[in-house]
Amino acid sequence: MSAPTRSLAMPKFAGTLEFRMLGLAVVLAVILSFISPHFFTERNMFNILDQSVVLGIVAVGMTLVILTGGIDLSVGSVAGLTGIVLALLLKEFPIPVAIALAVGCGALIGLFSGVLIAVFGLAPFVVTLGVMAMGRSLSYIVSGQRSISGLPMGLQDIVYTTVLGIPTNVIFLVALYAASWAWLTYSKGGRTIYAVGSNIEAARAAGLNTLYYSIFPYVASGALAATAMTFSLAQIMSADPIGGNQLELDAIAAVVIGGASLYGGRGSILGTLMGVLIMVMIRNGLNLLGVSPFWQGTAIGAIIILALLAERLITWKSRRV
Amino acid sequence: MPDSMPQEPLLVARSVTRVFGGAHALQDATLTLRRNEICGLLGANGAGKSTLSRIVCGHLSPSSGEILFRNAPLAVGSARDALRSGIALVAQETSLAPDMSVLENIFLPSYAMPGRLSFGQLRQKAQAILSELGHDHVLPLDMEVRRLSAAQRQLVEIAKALALNADLVIFDEPTASLSPIEVDRLFDVMTRLKTSGKALAFVSHRLEEVFAITDRVTILREGRTVAEGVPTAGLTQADIIRHMVGRDIGHVYSRPSVSAAAKERLVALTVTGLRAPPMVRDVSFTVRKGEILGLGGLVGAGRSESAEAIFGLRRRSAGQVQVGGKEIPPNNPIAAIRAGLGMVAEDRRAQNIVPDMTVGENLFLAQMGKHKGFGRGHAARRRRARDLISRLGLPADRMDANLLHFSGGMQQKVIIARWLLIEPEVLILDEPTKGVDIGTRQAIYELLREVAERGIAVVVISSDFEELLGICERIVVVSDGYTIADLPASRLSEESLTLLAAPRSSAERNAAFLRDLVAGHGGTAFWGLIDGGQFVCLAVAEAEGSPAMGFAAGHVYPTHETAIPAALERRQTGVVTEKDGRSTLLTRLSNRRGHDLGWIGLSLPPGGTLPDPKFLSARMAGLFETPQDEEIDA
Repeated sequence: MSAPTRSLAMPKFAGTLEFRMLGLAVVLAVILSFISPHFFTERNMFNILDQSVVLGIVAVGMTLVILTGGIDLSVGSVAGLTGIVLALLLKEFPIPVAIALAVGCGALIGLFSGVLIAVFGLAPFVVTLGVMAMGRSLSYIVSGQRSISGLPMGLQDIVYTTVLGIPTNVIFLVALYAASWAWLTYSKGGRTIYAVGSNIEAARAAGLNTLYYSIFPYVASGALAATAMTFSLAQIMSADPIGGNQLELDAIAAVVIGGASLYGGRGSILGTLMGVLIMVMIRNGLNLLGVSPFWQGTAIGAIIILALLAERLITWKSRRV
Repeated sequence: MPDSMPQEPLLVARSVTRVFGGAHALQDATLTLRRNEICGLLGANGAGKSTLSRIVCGHLSPSSGEILFRNAPLAVGSARDALRSGIALVAQETSLAPDMSVLENIFLPSYAMPGRLSFGQLRQKAQAILSELGHDHVLPLDMEVRRLSAAQRQLVEIAKALALNADLVIFDEPTASLSPIEVDRLFDVMTRLKTSGKALAFVSHRLEEVFAITDRVTILREGRTVAEGVPTAGLTQADIIRHMVGRDIGHVYSRPSVSAAAKERLVALTVTGLRAPPMVRDVSFTVRKGEILGLGGLVGAGRSESAEAIFGLRRRSAGQVQVGGKEIPPNNPIAAIRAGLGMVAEDRRAQNIVPDMTVGENLFLAQMGKHKGFGRGHAARRRRARDLISRLGLPADRMDANLLHFSGGMQQKVIIARWLLIEPEVLILDEPTKGVDIGTRQAIYELLREVAERGIAVVVISSDFEELLGICERIVVVSDGYTIADLPASRLSEESLTLLAAPRSSAERNAAFLRDLVAGHGGTAFWGLIDGGQFVCLAVAEAEGSPAMGFAAGHVYPTHETAIPAALERRQTGVVTEKDGRSTLLTRLSNRRGHDLGWIGLSLPPGGTLPDPKFLSARMAGLFETPQDEEIDA
């Protein structure tokens, strides 16, 4: 089976943005391992993967949304709210049921945004900005402005169980990326997402279900935000109303570093994975080097801007030819 | 060939009406399409051809009317239903997804169909379709559509419709950006589709192509069907234009009304050899002070793009623009404004007004670009703005109202006033009355006349030929990116303008043929249309020192005013000798299916020896070979 577009297929992978970002990730890793002896250790590698889980899961949903030309600013506060909801549900229900309900709650919030955007034609930025404010406010109200601890110990199993030495949260992350990559690349639904983002009129004229595929990404994004928070809760074993704060910014940055266009239609799940790894590696490296956390924002911001500037210069050059 | 027995119709659209924001785009339109037939769908700019096509394909819902497909009512307004019942549209290039590959664009509709997706199989099918179109090696399936040229995109559109294997295919201007060879290939494919039992509709401005491929034509005018399913074989170009315009061809014999005084007026703007690919290929014209010049042509002929290139909004690759004798640099609107150019762009909302600013702020927008420095004579300008506003019929106290609260016509006036404030030498207006009600139109026309009287050169771009003829002294016709005619409005009628504006795929080929003829035989060779006592001259080639013919390319003449009235009035293949002794060999130019494409003539001064008419006909038949096989020997 051959891939539908070369930008996603292996033979032409070299020269694509994902490839260049992979290069950037490798260069970063090499530099960091020279600077810090602790960076390139098995322990730290697992550390990086572990730290990638929450951002990585949220970034998948964000990729879908951005591919359709939308944006989801609410993922951070949806994660915070569903985290609180999950913590409260865990006191009443068995773990699997509580998780399913919390994820369903995230999906419902996504459905709310998606319907407002796709059916009523409201701007994604504004709708999700509103949902962001509401989500954060509700998570304070529902939690009673306190963090909730005392979660059942069984919850830790979803993080600390290992298969062949690999923790389950990392396995979940890899499986999620593999599945969503295959879906976006080879399935009708996935390709429809690209068509909707690239030219929604063309998609409509081709008889594609543009309404469904304009709403679905927001539902997925909401559900994945809740899923990410589940993993986060299992690690911290407490839910805080401020949980997931600014997660949306990191997720958008990861997707954009991964080469997606904010106008839709361009981007890939592999690119997003690179974006996530680059973000996490920078954080991790700066921590190892003992750089003050207050400087990390500046460093990450500068790298995002430089990466995109380099990308723009490269594509300008190739367009002139 | 049309079947001797008309087939049962495959699609019947009856009394289709579509209202866009109060205006009727279609009113009681009908269309019948039969298997084994290609039906031309014709009409002037804005007649509703595309609207009707899009309704049939479910992209738009009609406001009322019924559509029967295979004798059953078709669910309207659903592209998916139309596709599933076997109706496909070759749309303009806008219906492609630019970020996706050629392959995916061709099979985009299959993403909505049930069944497993196999890119391997799709790839094979796509190869087969493209090789049918003669493009299997030229068009890489994995190329992103955004990187394709306009012609390649068009081919993808066509391949997309063919891939659906639909019973009914509507081709909406499929040849607009194709080369003659590609057009030939497309016509072969269309003919094959037709003989395999499909029904085809062909929407086009190009009359030559309509004659080359269609069996019947349906003509729309102002949203109504005025001729339905007329066999093409019995029609002439003039017949079709008469239907499109809706009047009998008027005979306009008056001499140019450009007064001597007008000719002495200074040239305000000179454009020479302007080129801004892909839309603008060779545009040249001049405007004098106080003159209103019209740029006429069909939508997509490159008029707006020319204006943008002149004003510096669009990159130009060749050509000069001079304002008041001074060259202005390319790609620099600020320099253009300082040199005295003003432009009112086509899309009022997107290009002209800043919606959230007040009338006053909008008025001063261009001013900010013209003057360096700050606060120079602000109070005086404000006074002048008040002055202008009161002349426009606006109460002066509304200066500070939001511009969005005004009607389209009033907004347009404010935009024109904005440019008047900076006192330009030349004002270019692109579709100044688009979306403006009739009453305000009149006011805008008056305003334009007033502007011209003040000595400003005015250039009006309009697709409404009636409007052009009504307000302009002179009209330059642009077709396919070339200026092809420049003549006083008084010598033109809506019909002759339509005839001149129609893009002619054969123009370049025929011009070369004329030059060839003259090189071989001397004298003057010409190509034109003769109809109702008028001669529409499309191209002329002259040997040095040959006597004046009384006509030039791009102009319309009453036959008796030319130097060869006897030949033109006889309208038959053969040699005619005029009273003054010069002789003319006239030959009908017709395509392979025998359709009239005008006349080619060779005129020699007294005593010249004309070639054998048969020899000329034989060479002219060679004009319709595909260009690859063409061999013209001098």
